[in-house]
Amino acid sequence: MGVFEQVNGKVITAPVSPGREILARRGAMLAYTGDVGFSPVHMGPGGAGGMVGRMVQGEQVAMMVAQGQGTVHYGYRGLYLTIIEVDGSGPLSVEADRLVAHEAALQSTVVFLGSQGGIRGAVRGAVSGQGLFTTQLHGYGCAAVLSHGGTIAIPVDGSRPVAVDPQAYVAHVGQVQVDISASVGWRDAVGRGSGEAIQLKLSGHGTVYVQASEQKL
Amino acid sequence: MQSFRLNGSRILEIDLHGDAVRAATGAMIAYTGDVTFRNAGLGGGGGLRAALKQKATGESVSLMTCSGQGTVWFAKDAMEVLVVELNGETLRVESEQLLALSDKLKTDVAFAGLRGASSGQGLFTTTVTGFGAVALLSSGGPPIALEVSPQYPLVVDPDAFIASQGRLNQTFVTDVSWRNLIGESSGEAFSLRFDGSGVVYIQPEEK
Repeated sequence: MGVFEQVNGKVITAPVSPGREILARRGAMLAYTGDVGFSPVHMGPGGAGGMVGRMVQGEQVAMMVAQGQGTVHYGYRGLYLTIIEVDGSGPLSVEADRLVAHEAALQSTVVFLGSQGGIRGAVRGAVSGQGLFTTQLHGYGCAAVLSHGGTIAIPVDGSRPVAVDPQAYVAHVGQVQVDISASVGWRDAVGRGSGEAIQLKLSGHGTVYVQASEQKL
Repeated sequence: MQSFRLNGSRILEIDLHGDAVRAATGAMIAYTGDVTFRNAGLGGGGGLRAALKQKATGESVSLMTCSGQGTVWFAKDAMEVLVVELNGETLRVESEQLLALSDKLKTDVAFAGLRGASSGQGLFTTTVTGFGAVALLSSGGPPIALEVSPQYPLVVDPDAFIASQGRLNQTFVTDVSWRNLIGESSGEAFSLRFDGSGVVYIQPEEK
């Protein structure tokens, strides 16, 4: 499987062939070999409706498609890249501005978090500063996501829910429910908190990717 | 003894079995299991005397105590992590370069000589004493451990200094001459000199 390959922590290569196009963030191409052409993608997946939705939601990053035959190197602003494989067991959820490249075979949709967890989902988006919308990729294929300082993958299973700092959260894949948990006590109110009052609780089956930093991109 | 494991070079992983660990506030990135986080209190858990010293010196360590059952991951600003084991010695460390330490270790504040005045990190450093592990942060890349022996004293830039361990005597070296006054300095007017025997950890970035 794995068609994307890691060159080092910050650069990946992706093979392109007819029928196996790669969608990538505009400007993320570093180099390519072979006969590859790049063209902007005007209408995001989901057709015109999807695009309008995207613009309304602000969950939009200009993408381009690589077509032809060859190999493309991708990297972005010296940030670390993690390759995540989506194997059909569940969608990959990631913030649009963290998504650098993915195979065109993956279907991307924009999801309103409020519809996942009701009002709590909306609160989660507001608190974690990730906006109320997130991009989901469905199907089978590879995607590359950005992080500050690299990521670790933490497995989530039914017996082992994982709590993640909202600023360190990068993406998750699989059948995972995300909920916000706040344990704000009087200590936080007087400025003597532990700094870990608000966390994302992930439960279900899948994997969560966490970065080594609490900085946004 | 608690195991401080590295997951990659920038993430620290600690298993808790009903015991506790102290870490820089806000440095937790994820955890599983049943773990509670609370502020370690005044003086980063070093007691009232340490708290008073910190208030007076401005060398503040903001620590939280993490206790319970489970696994916790810590990281800060994508800095590289270095784990140092202490067997009764004292480690002098810049408070902002401290990521986590075993709960059994004692923290205090020590006078660090005049060097603090130039490095802007205060005149005082944090000391960590006892038996256990300490995780330090290095910005700009992996840290470097430099050995100091009586024949070979070491001079380091105060901004690159992370921590020192062993029987070391620390002095402040200035090289200020008329050139500095007319703006022709080399940029290395202040340095830290270590004599004795021990290890000094430096980072590849001058903050």
